[in-house]
Formats: sequence, structure tokens, C-alpha cells
Amino acid sequence: MNKKLHALLLLSVFVVATCGLIYELIAGTLASYLLGDSVTQFSTIIGAYLFSMGIGSWISKYFDKNIISWFIQLELLVGLVGGTSSTILFLVFESAASFRIILYSLVGLTGILVGLEIPLLMRILKDRYEFKDLVSNIFTFDYIGALLASIIFPLLLIPYLGLVKTSYMVGMLNVAVALIVCFNFRKEIKAVAYLQTSGIICILLLLAGFVYANAITNFSESLTYNETIIYSKSTPYQRIILTKKGKVLRLFLNGNLQFSSDDEYRYHEALVHPGLQALPNAQNVLVMGGGDGLAVREILKYPNIKSVTLVDLDKGMTGLFKSNPALLALNKNSLLSPKVKVVNADAFSWLRADKQKFDFMVIDFPDPSNYSVGKLYTNSFYKLAKGALAPGGIMVVQSTSPYVAPKSFWTVDTTLRSVGLRTIPYHNNVPSFGEWGYIMATENPSYKKPDHFVPELRFITKESLDLMFYFPKDMAKVKTDVNKLNNQVLVKYFEDEWSTVL
Amino acid sequence: MSGRRFYNGGFVKGIGRRSFLLKAGLVTGGIFLSGCLRKIKPNTTYKNISGSIKGPNAKAGHILRDKLPLPAPATTRKVKTLIVGGGISGLSAAWHLQKQGYNDFELLELENHTGGNAHYGSNSTSAYPLGAHYVTIANNEDTPLINFYRECGIITGFENGLPVYNEYYLCFDPEERLLINGQWQEGLVPDFGLPAADKAQVKKFFVLIEELKKAKGNDGKHAFDIPLDNSSADEKYRSLDKISFAEYLKQQGFHSAYLLWYLNYCCKDDYGQQIQKVSAWAGLHYFASRRGKAANAEPNAVLTWPEGNGWLTKQLAASVAPRIIKNNICYSLSHQSDGKLAVQVYDIAKGTSATIIADNVIMATPQFVNKKILKDVNRGVNYDAMHYSPWFIANITVKGLPQSKGAGLCWDNVAYNTPSVGYVNAGQQAISMTNGKRVLTWYLPLCDHEPRVARLAAYTRTYEQWLDMMMPELEFMHPGISDFIEHVECWIWGHGMISPAVNYIWGADRQAAKQPINNNLFFAHTDLSGISIFEEAFHQGLRAAEQVLAYNGKHANA
Ligand SMILES: Cc1cc2nc3c(=O)[nH]c(=O)nc-3n(C[C@H](O)[C@H](O)[C@H](O)COP(=O)(O)OP(=O)(O)OC[C@H]3O[C@@H](n4cnc5c(N)ncnc54)[C@H](O)[C@@H]3O)c2cc1C
Repeated sequence: MNKKLHALLLLSVFVVATCGLIYELIAGTLASYLLGDSVTQFSTIIGAYLFSMGIGSWISKYFDKNIISWFIQLELLVGLVGGTSSTILFLVFESAASFRIILYSLVGLTGILVGLEIPLLMRILKDRYEFKDLVSNIFTFDYIGALLASIIFPLLLIPYLGLVKTSYMVGMLNVAVALIVCFNFRKEIKAVAYLQTSGIICILLLLAGFVYANAITNFSESLTYNETIIYSKSTPYQRIILTKKGKVLRLFLNGNLQFSSDDEYRYHEALVHPGLQALPNAQNVLVMGGGDGLAVREILKYPNIKSVTLVDLDKGMTGLFKSNPALLALNKNSLLSPKVKVVNADAFSWLRADKQKFDFMVIDFPDPSNYSVGKLYTNSFYKLAKGALAPGGIMVVQSTSPYVAPKSFWTVDTTLRSVGLRTIPYHNNVPSFGEWGYIMATENPSYKKPDHFVPELRFITKESLDLMFYFPKDMAKVKTDVNKLNNQVLVKYFEDEWSTVL
Repeated sequence: MSGRRFYNGGFVKGIGRRSFLLKAGLVTGGIFLSGCLRKIKPNTTYKNISGSIKGPNAKAGHILRDKLPLPAPATTRKVKTLIVGGGISGLSAAWHLQKQGYNDFELLELENHTGGNAHYGSNSTSAYPLGAHYVTIANNEDTPLINFYRECGIITGFENGLPVYNEYYLCFDPEERLLINGQWQEGLVPDFGLPAADKAQVKKFFVLIEELKKAKGNDGKHAFDIPLDNSSADEKYRSLDKISFAEYLKQQGFHSAYLLWYLNYCCKDDYGQQIQKVSAWAGLHYFASRRGKAANAEPNAVLTWPEGNGWLTKQLAASVAPRIIKNNICYSLSHQSDGKLAVQVYDIAKGTSATIIADNVIMATPQFVNKKILKDVNRGVNYDAMHYSPWFIANITVKGLPQSKGAGLCWDNVAYNTPSVGYVNAGQQAISMTNGKRVLTWYLPLCDHEPRVARLAAYTRTYEQWLDMMMPELEFMHPGISDFIEHVECWIWGHGMISPAVNYIWGADRQAAKQPINNNLFFAHTDLSGISIFEEAFHQGLRAAEQVLAYNGKHANA
């Protein structure tokens, strides 16, 4: 056996081993990026991968004849499946509720194929080597390959190429091995032309993926930065972006933070419980805005609630929070509850046509940073809301920060009062937002502070409520105008007050 | 609309005929040539833009100029009172008659819809105005108008003696912006980037206006009022009708280019004419006659609807709908020997003519039309004293607007020093969030030439040539907007509105034209006010209706 062939074959072992491990690393990284909880993701992926490799080795005994030809075809297949796997996973992540099934199927398939590689290679080499040398050489190169993979993957491949390009590149390496083997053993195998052409086609396909998958690559490269964008979509109304850092998910609408999963409970508990806990007989609830289902999650903690109507403009938003596994985990599948009816409509128009009355109403719109949203904070809107409030009912309005934007906050208060509602303003601290404000409004002459709360709350207690109702001097009430459709003072105040901060 | 270009041929006579023909020839010839050139070198810039040119019923013009042979009247019927014309004036007359319990009338309208210049259109994105698009809140002593506003829910109640206006009809914030010195500023009065001297002149002008708003003549009446016939007869003020607004401003020492641009813009916007062409009295009336106060809005606040004043048309028409006969053009009217009026009408839809014998008639049609219909009636009216400004309106459907610097989209959006008077956002009063798709109504008064020439030129232009006129200005306002435009619907008003030329409002011609004939033929139209606004049309109708009631001895003083 000549020296050249010898080196080449060992190089193949080396490449095959490196690629195999890289596929495993890609799958693990992707799963933990997309699904969070890296320890769980990595260990389940590695487990599944190793197990599949076991299946692959076991299957290898059924290959008898034409081993070289089989090996070449196998390499082509590994290259194709492995090369495109991360692209496939990125593309399906947005839409698939069954993302895990696809993920583990791909991991399983790659594992089986990779599991086949070394046994087949050993059998190709077994007639050309002493058994002792063979085993030691193969294992040496297998482990060196693994070491190399584990070093270059985090240090070079991910930072410089990103996940998608890495996959395509590794895929091409597999195909290259196939072509090299094919070339060197061309005298020993049949249908060389067929195998060579297939190999070249595969290389070209993967190359095209490598070059043109730029969109996906950009997306995947962003994974390597601090805050990872794991979902982004432009709906007719807004741009939804979901990011992830460590375990924390954040949702941005048009670049404005809507919630951060580590402290959103503070916001949503404060939004819902002071009002709803005070209404032990409440049955029907209306939520306007809040397509994330997080306020609904809090509302569903009350067994007395029979129905929740959620009115949110954007189907893209409610759809996302009805299907994305990470978000479903966050809102506890609230939007899928049989008690919840999701209506995708403009809240103003919907409310104007509404005939039903509600015991409790959550008005959770984006901040009044422009005239379109500002309409939802006007006396005209609150008049309609008052009309939809059942006798004794309470509505609560998210009202921006009374600390940063006191004039804006108290304008909401003034506007609610101008339509004949009694208001109960309060606030709490939500670290990712700062000091945040809410206003309850009711036609009742009095509001009775609840003295106990539903179990499992992480923030609200009777004692914390007293603090929330107290407004220190730096957030004290200021006199403001009423916000009206024909004079949206709130948008102007809001712009002034926040521009000094941002 | 090919026949349209001859529409005005018949109106040209006497003095100035030769110079008119020369100018008209030059202008239309130029347009025709450029049209030919365009055909040779078609440009595909507008390939994503669809649309057409429309306007009021073109057949009417031919009929009135005897260009179409009409069948002889086949039937005769009797009506006590006939109102001809279903614009705001005619509808207001009908509305008022009915309010007073007088129901023995019919209203004829040549179009298949009422509304006249307050007509509107709609598409899947929005309803939009084709002409009149807003009113300001009523002067508080204008009881009839306030009563109408109460009746149709524009005024919902009173607080501390002041009307509370329906908040869905008060123009939503933000209202106006002006593109000036490279930036969109809030409000239309030039301010951004103005030198101190200009700012001082602007201020001085508004101080003057505040005085004139309060001013009363020696008869105790407001110097400027709505309806304008309620204004003081004091020569001190009426003499202002004898000079042009431009002349007056010069005399008063107003020379700031910014201020003059603004005042010129206002005259174009309300009268379709430039400050040289309107009288000082009219120019000042625009500012000094509006004193409306509301409990829940700024003084002079604007009321508007997606379909503009088409909404008001619908309210007026609703109560008298059974008595409205559409698609019927009145083409001739004369007194019978028994003193009654024989009115010849042609049904455009059916192609039949009829004679209506009426005890009395309100002509709620413009005088350039009456001139044709009343050929046999001696009114002693100098029709040549009345000038009508042509207008071009484009309803532009956009799928969004490019980003721009400064104030964002408002109801009224104007650019400094441009030929048009800007565009209004037809969807301003929509409460729902939009996905960016809107209809913008762009207004171009055709006041660069004398009205007759401009009108002829307007009828000559092709769709592409109108786009050629609009697009540079729109691109100037919003660089990159072309790519956002999906549809442009053009509308031409050949005789858009009467222009309050020097000596028209308080001269003899208007007085003469207002006079009833034989005390049973009455007149109501904004051209008899000299200022074309909804309030004038409304009061024109009410005045004529009162004349009918008086004639019929049923005058129930409201
Ligand atoms: C482009 C434009 C913008 C305007 N914007 C505003 C605005 O924003 N606010 C405002 O207040 N005003 C505005 N106006 C002024 C508007 O014209 C008046 O407010 C008002 O609508 C005029 O009503 P009218 O009844 O006097 O006249 P018209 O509207 O002229 O009504 C006359 C009616 O008579 C019918 N008619 C004519 N001849 C005959 C016939 N022979 N037989 C039967 N029927 C006939 C016509 O079809 C028409 O319906 C605008 C006008 C134009 C052209």
C-alpha cells in the first residue's frame, strides 16, 4: 500500500470524526439557543445523538458488498443532511409547534449516518492494515478529530462563520471525503461516474447554501451576540422581535420593550390582581392589547372567571403566543384555554360596536408614543370603555411611568375622571421598565382593598399593595388637561418626558 | 370626455374675445403638443399607478348649450314648489321647508347623486372628498345652523352655554403641518426658519385680525359675518371690497414674503384664486368672520369626515329623500300667462322629457347654468361679472408614506411655495389603526391663467399630463412617494367655485342676481354670496325657502 493512500485514508477518518462531532455541537447549540435551558438541551441532544450512532454501528453489519460505494454514498448523505440541518431548523422554528420532533428526528438521522461511517471505513481499511494498527490509528484520529472539533467549533467556526455557514462547510468536507475516496478507489468500484457526478452536485448545492444562506446566516450570527434575536417578523401593524439572553426572553414591538420574562410577573401581577382580587364575583373579563397572553395567564388564576375576551389588533402577535413553545411556557398556554376568546380587531372599533358588559377590563396598550395609539387613551375611548363596564366593575389601564413621565401618567388619570369614573392610581417597580404606573377606574363609590390574594403570586401581598397605592413626592399628582381625539395632549407630554430620558 | 374641450366655447363673447382665443390657443396647443410628444416617448414612470379622470356629468353641458337634440316633453305634471339643484343650497332649502311643515315640493338634480360640489367617492381603503371637505364650528349666534348641527348630532349638547361638539367629527389631532425650509412644522402659519422681521409681520397681521373679528360697523353689526349678508353696511368696511386683497396688504405695509405666501395660500384654498384676484373684503372675511366657540374645542375648530362635506349632504338629504328626483336636468324655464312657471326637464336615465307646472321655483343652480335655462326670463343680470375658479382634485391611494423630517402626517398637509394647496388625509377621522394604506386628497386650484383659459386647458390635459403636474410636487413633499402610490383618481371641477373678485360681493351684480322674479322664481346658490362655503350655501337655501313660505302665506317664523 502506498504512502499517499495511507495518509489520505487516515485524513478521511480524521475529517469524518471532526464533522460528526461538529454536527452534534451544532444541534446542541441550536436547541439551547432556540429552546433555552442549555444544560437540558445539550444533554438530551448528546444522548440522542450517541444513541443514534449506536444504531448506526449496529446497522453497519448489514452492509456486505460494495462497501466502498456505500461509504461514498453515505458520506454524500451525511454532507447533505448535516449541511442543511441548521438551515432547516431555523426555518421551521418560527412556524412549527412540533419543532422538537423535527429537531430530534434530524439529530437521530445525523447520528445514525455518522454512526455508520467509522465501522464502514474500518471495513474498507481492514484488508490493508494490521488489525492492531488499524484500531489504534482509527481511534487516534477519531479522538484527535473530536478534540479539534471541540476547539475550533466555539473559537473559530461560530464566531467567524456562524451556525448556518458552519453546517454547510462541514457538509462540504463530508462530500469532499466521498469524492477523494471515490477518486482513489475508482478501479475497485462500479458506477464511478454516477458517484462522482452526485458528489459534485452535492458540493455545488452545499456551496450555494453556503453563499446564499446569507439571510439565515445573518440571523444565526446574531445568535453569537449578547442578546440573541430568536424571532422577528413584520406584521401589517408592527415589527415583532423576540430576543433571548441566557434564560431571559424579551419581546419588542417596533423596538419598544414589552416585557422581559424575568420580571414580567411584577408587571402583570400588578396589572391584574389589585382589581380582579377585589371582584370576587367577576365572571367576564375583557383584555384589550396584551396579545402576549400574560395578563390572561394571571386572570385565569381565578376559578370564578368564566370567560376572557382578548382583543388584540395583531394576529401575528396572538398567533405567536399561541404556538411558540418558549412563549407558551411563559404564558402557561393561556391563549389556548377554552375560557379565552381571542379577537383580532382594532380595539377602538371593536369597543364601539360591543354590546357585552364586562366585570373586569384590562387596558394594556403600548405607550402613547404616537397619535394612532394615543387615540386609545382619549376621553372618547374611555367613554366607550365605561359603557362596556358591568355595574360594580373595574377597569385598569397601564399608564406609563409616573416617575419618568408624571404628566403623562396623571393625564391618563385626569382623562379617566373626565368621563365620570373614580380612579385609583398605583405603581410598582418592574426592573426592566423602572417605576411603572397603573390606574384602576370604576363607577363604584369605593374600592375595597383585597386582604388576601390568590396563591402562587410572586410579588403582590397585602403589604406590598399599601406601598403601591402611596405616591411619594417625586411622583405626586400634577394638574393636566384631558386627552382628546381633537387635542392629544398625552402624545405631546409623553414625547417631552421620555425624550429627556432616552 | 372628448367633447368637453368645447364646453365653454359658447360662453366667450364680446370684449377680450380675441385675447382669450389667442391665450386659449397657445395654452391648449402647448398641452396638445406635449401630449403628442409623450405618446412618442411614452414614459413608464407611472406604470404601477392606475386611475382615470372624472368630473360632473358631461352631458349636462351639451344639453344646456343646445348641443343635444332633446325629445319634446311627453308629459305634464303639477308641483307646488320645485327646487332645481341638489347641492347644499337646494338641499338646505328642502330641509328647511320640511322643517316648517311644508311638504309640497320636489327637488330635481341632474346627477345620479345629490351634493354638488360637496360630492365624494370611496374605494376599499377609505371614503374621500371630491370637493368640499370641512366646515368650521358654527358662529354661536348662527341659530339655524346650530339647530341643524344639533339635529344631525354634530352638536351633542351644551355646557356653560357653549355647544359641545361630537368628538368624532372634530378634526383629530394632529391637524396641520407645513413643509417649510426643509422641515415639516406644526400648523400652517409659517414659523420654522423665519427671520424675526417676518415673524413680526405675521404677528402684526393676526393682531389686526383679532381687531377685525371684534369690529362692528356704525349699524351695530359685525364688520364680517356669516352669512355675509348679515355683515355691517358701514362703508368703512364695505369699501374694502373695492380693492384687491394684494393692494390692501401693500397699503397696510405687509410685505413679508412668508406672510404674503400664507395669505395667498388661504385665498387659493378657500376661493380658488390668488390675492390679486380677490377683494380685500373677501380676503379678510376668511379670517375675521369666524368666531365660533365650543365647550370642548378650540375656537374655529374644524369639523371633518372621511367623505368630507359629503357627510353633511347625506344628513340634509336623508330627511327629504322621498322628494328628491335624480338624473333629471332642468333645461328651460319660463313664465306662463297665468303667472305659473313652466319648467322643462329631461330625464337623463330614461331619455324622456317632461313639463312641470310649478307655482314657484327655487333655482339652486349656479348662475352660469341659469343663464342658459332662463334665456326667456329677463333678470337684468350681468352674468359676465361672475367668475368661477376651476379646480383639479386627485384622490391618491398610497400604501404608506416615506419617512420625513419633523411633524408626522396630519389632516392638512401643505408645502410652502408650491402650486397646489396640499392634501388632506381622508382617513384622519378613522379611529382604527391603519396598516399604512390611505387615501390622500390633493387639491390644485387652477388659478395661473384666467378661469376661462385654465378651464379649457384642464379639459385638454390627459391623465398622464395631470400626473406630470402632480408628481414633482408630491416628490418634493415626500421624496420616494412614487413607489407608494397605487391609484390616482382625478376629478375636474370646471366651474368649481365663484371667486369673490373685486367689487363682486358688495357690487350691483350680486344684488341684482339675488332678486326674485315675479315673486315666484327664487334663487339660492353660493355664487349669490360670492363666497363658496357650506354655511353660505346653507343660508342661501334657508333664505329662498323662507321666500317660498312667505309667498305661500304660511310663513311660520322660526
Ligand atoms: C374643490 C372645492 C373644494 C371646496 N371645499 C370646501 C370646503 O372645504 N368647505 C366648504 O364649506 N366649502 C367648500 N367648497 C365650496 C362648496 O362649493 C360649497 O360649500 C357648497 O357645497 C356649494 O353648494 P351649492 O348648493 O351652492 O352649489 P353646487 O354644489 O354647485 O350645487 C348645485 C347643484 O345643482 C345641480 N344642477 C346644476 N344644474 C342643474 C340643472 N340644470 N338641473 C338640475 N340640477 C342642476 C348640480 O348638479 C349641483 O348638484 C369647495 C368647493 C370646491 C369646488
